[in-house]
Amino acid sequence: MEAPMSTSRSGAAAPAKSRRRLQPWEWAPYVFISPFFILFLCFGLFPLLFSVWLSFHSWDAATGLGGMVWVGIENYEFVLGDEWFHKSLFNTFWLAVASGLPQHLVAIPLAFFAHTYLAKYRNTVVGIYFLPFITSSVAIALVFNSLFSRDFGIVNLALTSIGNFEVAGIHPLAWLFPTSNIDWGQPQYTKPMIAFVVFWRYVGWNTVLYLSALQTIPNDLYEAATIDGASRRQQFWYITLPLLKPMMFLAVTMTIIGNLQLFEEPFIITGGTGGLDQAGKTAAMHMYNTAFVDSDFGTASAVAWVLFMLIALLTVVNNKVFSQKD
Amino acid sequence: MSSVSLRKISKRYDSEGPEIVKRLSLDVHDGEFMVFVGPSGCGKSTMLRMIAGLEDITDGDLMIDGVRANDIQPSQRGVAMVFQSYALYPHMTVGENMGFALKLAGKPKEEVKAAVGRAAEILQISHLLDRRPKALSGGQRQRVAIGRSIVRKPKVFLFDEPLSNLDAALRVQMRIELAKLHAELKTTMIYVTHDQVEAMTLGDRIAVFNGGKVEQVGRPLDLYSRPVNQFVGAFLGSPQMNFIECRAGVLRGDALDLHFGDVVRSVPLAGMAAPSNGDPLQLGVRPEDLLVVNEGLGLPATVDLVEHLGDATIVYATDVVSRQSLTLKAADYPAEVKAGARIGLMPRIGSFHLFAADGRSLTRQ
Repeated sequence: MEAPMSTSRSGAAAPAKSRRRLQPWEWAPYVFISPFFILFLCFGLFPLLFSVWLSFHSWDAATGLGGMVWVGIENYEFVLGDEWFHKSLFNTFWLAVASGLPQHLVAIPLAFFAHTYLAKYRNTVVGIYFLPFITSSVAIALVFNSLFSRDFGIVNLALTSIGNFEVAGIHPLAWLFPTSNIDWGQPQYTKPMIAFVVFWRYVGWNTVLYLSALQTIPNDLYEAATIDGASRRQQFWYITLPLLKPMMFLAVTMTIIGNLQLFEEPFIITGGTGGLDQAGKTAAMHMYNTAFVDSDFGTASAVAWVLFMLIALLTVVNNKVFSQKD
Repeated sequence: MSSVSLRKISKRYDSEGPEIVKRLSLDVHDGEFMVFVGPSGCGKSTMLRMIAGLEDITDGDLMIDGVRANDIQPSQRGVAMVFQSYALYPHMTVGENMGFALKLAGKPKEEVKAAVGRAAEILQISHLLDRRPKALSGGQRQRVAIGRSIVRKPKVFLFDEPLSNLDAALRVQMRIELAKLHAELKTTMIYVTHDQVEAMTLGDRIAVFNGGKVEQVGRPLDLYSRPVNQFVGAFLGSPQMNFIECRAGVLRGDALDLHFGDVVRSVPLAGMAAPSNGDPLQLGVRPEDLLVVNEGLGLPATVDLVEHLGDATIVYATDVVSRQSLTLKAADYPAEVKAGARIGLMPRIGSFHLFAADGRSLTRQ
């Protein structure tokens, strides 16, 4: 019954539609939303797909598109066997853990403290912690470079002043503190320095995330826990932490994604070189150098996709860890 | 089981700010169901939270079981509280919620389990113990919140408007269950509500709060039939007590003349304190005590609206003299009482109140 009716209806409508010209009000909305799609297609989707294509080619950009030579998975094989890539990956993970873990270990208690004990000055305090996040990385790098300068830096000045502290001809603190200026450019100091800058920069951001999550926990729960006999520490452990879990998942995911793509801070602090012994060279820097210094865009694309797969894998693992129960 | 004594308790949030609770004294007896009732902002919840230990007491003494409890930790006071929002820990199961206090107290697992099991049985929620709060209905959450209190075996139960988040039907049901629970546990309970029906039905005694003070304490029916002042009269009872402005006239024997504008009517005082001639008064009559009489008798009024509720009929009328709105309630009214009709109104003998200009009742002196 229904089928013939619908056929006849669409049969009657179809010729009318094809004859009719599209009216301006019908196509105008698409014009209005087109800038996003055009930009996204040109600068988002196309480069994305092109880099996949590129990762299977050997290509020197100077030779033009005609210079692309299909090499199959050779680039991937090279990247996975490349010691410099291994090293940059190790650096990346080292930095990701050394700067990421303390961010959360500090941000959660800090947010809890600000939420619980600071009423009037909460926003000011959190604002100060947040400030590095909105500061230009170039400015941050300049400040830290001068702080850690070997001959004129305040860090060395402070440390050696303590080391050279003298009482009755002996230096009681010399065993712990340096007595002469440290060269912070040495490989053993590069990673901790970068990790500290990254930690310092993002701890405020995470504090804001956790603080916003804390503010959604109803006060009633803490009052009920107080009557149930929970101390402040137990309230933090039994109420706050479990209820922060969704936000911890989000914040940790963002840290993982951000830290594995770490580029700006190490790039500027090491002057784009990765520092002595490449101690500060991250995977993203390795990718950048492969593409724009070595002009090897095929390998660089392969690095990008290997990195992408690693990040995706870690995000899945993170998801599993945080969503065990709920 | 335990008694609670409030002795001249005051509360201020800051030294400059207003007094939220003003030198309040009250005794809650052992095993009693005491209801704190009053409008929003009257200090009843603050008082309850001070008993619980969630708010500091600015001045005065809180005695629980004869011991001064002002500075005792909330968890050591032997009180358990049921919150309006239930305050169930969302990440814990029902069983974990109920056993949390015992777990914190370091009780062995078997003991916690047994205590939770017993409480769950009383409240018939044994089948819910493994669920999370979000999987429960409002009524079930309420039971869990009560269960969490029972598990702690408190000396005093504190309820902070526990039924206000429930729908009307469930509220009635839970009200009955709370009354049964009290009969079963026989523990002292202090219950805060702004709903006078809950207060009337649940309380052994009611304390009517207003502006940080207790206006009157007593058994529900005593408060209903003998309010000490206009506030208590107005607060308890639904529909509200009618108040008609008048002026005291001459006292003839036991009968006092009341002047409603030009209309003068005589009422029997029946033991009431006699006001002086010319005093401004409020005649307070409950809707069920305001009777319809012939137009020439009683106070002249016009019927605005008649509502038939099935079990009762409510008549809204306007007093012709003062243009005040009045409410009448009875099982039924004669057919003549309909919108637009002119009627006379008269209080039932012995069932009216006279309030002086300051609100004080002349009935109880």
